[in-house]
Amino acid sequence: MKIDNEDDIIKRAQKGDTRAFEQLMAHYYDVIYAFAYKYCGRVADAEDITQNACIKLARSLDQFKGKSAFSSWLYRLVINCAKDWYKSQSRHPENPDAMESVKTNAQGEEAVYNREILTAISALPEGEREAIILVHAEGLSHKEAGDILGCKESTISWRIHEARKKLSAQFGKEHHYG
Amino acid sequence: MDDQKLDKILENLDIPTPDANAKKRALNLAMAEFGAHQKEKEKNSQGFGFFRRLIGIANDKTDTQRRDPMAEKSRKKFIYGGMATAAAVIIVAGIGLNMAPQFGVSQNTFTDMTYEVGSPQNASVKNKTAPANIYRQALEERKKQDLESTKGAKNNFAPAQKEKAAEPKRQRIESRAMDMQAAPMAPTAQGMTGTYHSKDEAAKQRLNIQPMPMPTVKPMESDALVLEEEIQPQYYQDVGRDKFEDFKENTFKAVSAEPVSTFSVDVDTASYSFMRSQLNSGVLPQKDAVRIEELINYFNYDYAVPEDKTQPFKPSVTVTDSPWHEGKKLMHIGIKGYDIVDEKPKSNIVFLLDVSGSMNAPNKLPLVKNSMKMLLDSLNPDDTVAIAVYAGAAGTVLEPTKVSDKAKIIAAFDRLSAGGSTAGAAGINLAYQLAEQNFDENAVNRVILATDGDFNVGIQNRDELQDFVERKREKGVFLSVLGFGNGNYNDHMMQSLAQNGNGVATYIDNLNEARKVLVEEASSTLFPIAKDVKIQIEFNPAQVSEYRLVGYETRALNREDFNNDAVDAGDIGAGHSVTAIYEYTPVGAQKMVDDLRYGTADNSEQKYNLDNIHNKANFDTEIAFLKIRYKLPNEDVSNLITTPIINDYKFLQDCRENTQCLVPSAPDDVQFATAVAGFGQLLKGSKYVGHMTYDRVIDLAQSGKGDDLFGYRSEFIQLVRLAKSASAMQPR
Repeated sequence: MKIDNEDDIIKRAQKGDTRAFEQLMAHYYDVIYAFAYKYCGRVADAEDITQNACIKLARSLDQFKGKSAFSSWLYRLVINCAKDWYKSQSRHPENPDAMESVKTNAQGEEAVYNREILTAISALPEGEREAIILVHAEGLSHKEAGDILGCKESTISWRIHEARKKLSAQFGKEHHYG
Repeated sequence: MDDQKLDKILENLDIPTPDANAKKRALNLAMAEFGAHQKEKEKNSQGFGFFRRLIGIANDKTDTQRRDPMAEKSRKKFIYGGMATAAAVIIVAGIGLNMAPQFGVSQNTFTDMTYEVGSPQNASVKNKTAPANIYRQALEERKKQDLESTKGAKNNFAPAQKEKAAEPKRQRIESRAMDMQAAPMAPTAQGMTGTYHSKDEAAKQRLNIQPMPMPTVKPMESDALVLEEEIQPQYYQDVGRDKFEDFKENTFKAVSAEPVSTFSVDVDTASYSFMRSQLNSGVLPQKDAVRIEELINYFNYDYAVPEDKTQPFKPSVTVTDSPWHEGKKLMHIGIKGYDIVDEKPKSNIVFLLDVSGSMNAPNKLPLVKNSMKMLLDSLNPDDTVAIAVYAGAAGTVLEPTKVSDKAKIIAAFDRLSAGGSTAGAAGINLAYQLAEQNFDENAVNRVILATDGDFNVGIQNRDELQDFVERKREKGVFLSVLGFGNGNYNDHMMQSLAQNGNGVATYIDNLNEARKVLVEEASSTLFPIAKDVKIQIEFNPAQVSEYRLVGYETRALNREDFNNDAVDAGDIGAGHSVTAIYEYTPVGAQKMVDDLRYGTADNSEQKYNLDNIHNKANFDTEIAFLKIRYKLPNEDVSNLITTPIINDYKFLQDCRENTQCLVPSAPDDVQFATAVAGFGQLLKGSKYVGHMTYDRVIDLAQSGKGDDLFGYRSEFIQLVRLAKSASAMQPR
């Protein structure tokens, strides 16, 4: 998901090069959106979160110092945006279509089952949900996820373990064919 | 749940392509922000080095970046060190003021606190590293503790609230976090009880309050974040506590033994929507949750409508071959009430809403509010609406208000939130008081109860509650019930309340259903055109050897109840359609019930004597005789409609001229209703499924789909497919 000479573009954007920033945003919008969607599972929410993240990025790009991968830094920014957004939503708790379901590629019975799991994931405690999404949906290692979430690798492992235990308790036994 | 499985599911996530407009908007906003930010930067860094310092704060961020990192660290250390020292001093003073015994908290805990906050120089380092280790231990610890400690923690903590002002800021924030956490995550608060914990353990418990170790090393920020995390709503979800009335399926009855079948109409649709919400979440509904008549009556059928309201409805009857048993026939009896179009009566409505903690889920209170707002649109401007709520106690949210003052009503709905409780009389009493306060003889006076089922307001005994509703019904205030949510849905209670209150019990699982019930079918939901509608069928033993009523098990009446006007029965709203299906075996076909070897015991009763009947030539074409009793909404004496049911095409042709006779229903409707009945029997695991399968149901429904203006019938077909796959997934 890296663009060519990304470091250079970021540096130019940090110095105030509007075109470099535009280039950066054009590429990362989709990345942020995809991540936000996995995080919240709803198109409208994902759009809102992505928009906030883009605005925040415009302001805080200066703070990226190249110590970690830009994507890791970005994940953290998006997660914070998502949290802020949920916080602001809880003050106006009007979600008429809160039951809009996440779609998956799978068909038929699988789809029904998958949807249930996704719902269950979104009901996990925040820390566990973040860990599950970073590790399982984004394919990061426990270490990388730890760096993004600002905690130790072992914490991530523990959260994944906990989350999986909860999911198994909910689904492990129910789901067997025949 | 293994890794691969999770990976597979999450990687297969079909992420919708971002909306181009949304993207453009976001990018434009970001560019604008970027431009503004660059300008600010420029402005702030104008001038020479000397002046730059004077500009100060706004410039701080960019400025520090240029500084030596060592210098930055030492500067921070200095500031935080100072702050922490100050905090420690305040804490010590706080302890002096609120000495332990007052709180019922041992001094042990307080020493801990001082220790923790009192080592400020490495506070930053601690925040960064310690929680990660301790969090894990604390989690393990948490699981071991049982819920008992919650009480202790809460009780001990309550008095402390009063002294809040004396506490230092940091501690206060933590205590708030703990208050919030106390209920849902009980054991976390245990650290505060302290008494039965070693110093070390108490420290772990305390750190447990900050489950997210902070990425940045700023103590003040970490406070804010702790709060943010606790605010996350924690939904409580009951599972498997849905309550349904247990009932047995109707069986085949020999006409010779029991020629008469009596039942009350049922226009509820709760069972269908509950089934839908279960199927949509991938499970089959429990068998008692499926009431076939409610599935059938969920749909609107195009039966013939009477012209005037003195006789509010007219029966249509069609006989077809049974699709699930060879040689048997199905008899559809359809009734449609006339629809009030322009002469809508006035309404006096009281909403009684459940706002208890269990309603705090997206498919409960928010859905209730939106549904109610929808209903407002289908009312007349001079109708009145009042809102009462109940949680731990009950209260009036909105005094009776004219619908024309919509803004006020909507504002009242918006103020509601789950979990809050108000003082006052018990909910249902209050709702009826409000309704009576504004009672209008010429209007429809109705209480609409929206709840997830645990109807624990005021009167808790179910029978007592039913009696109460019944007495109020006699005074002219009706009750309708809207059910929400699942897991703890008390269907049994809802049904009996609505039946006794002359109302409809509906189950609302999504906004679409709310729209169907409260907007499209608002007039049937709100305005009754006939009450206590009973149906009685007498089968002709010369034509029919045995019969079975499909569904209506919970609505069965005794034969003698039919002519007794004191016996309550179901009601029909404006435009409601009601369908009943009998499956019967014509004489001569293979029977389920064997004939009696010795004939009927009572030979003196000549009623069923075949010779007798055959002598009367008229009866030859009659399969059965249909009688319907109903009362007009304001009357107490019932009217009777009677008509013979004839299975003879020629006869029917002649009959067309005569309006008193029967009209067959549209073939599409009959076919579709049959498909729904077949589906209901499959879901219930009925003994009479015969050779019906989910695929046959889909075929039948497809061909009977008709115009399907609102897509309900297509949705049904989709549900059958879901049920088919869900039944494959059920553990055997």
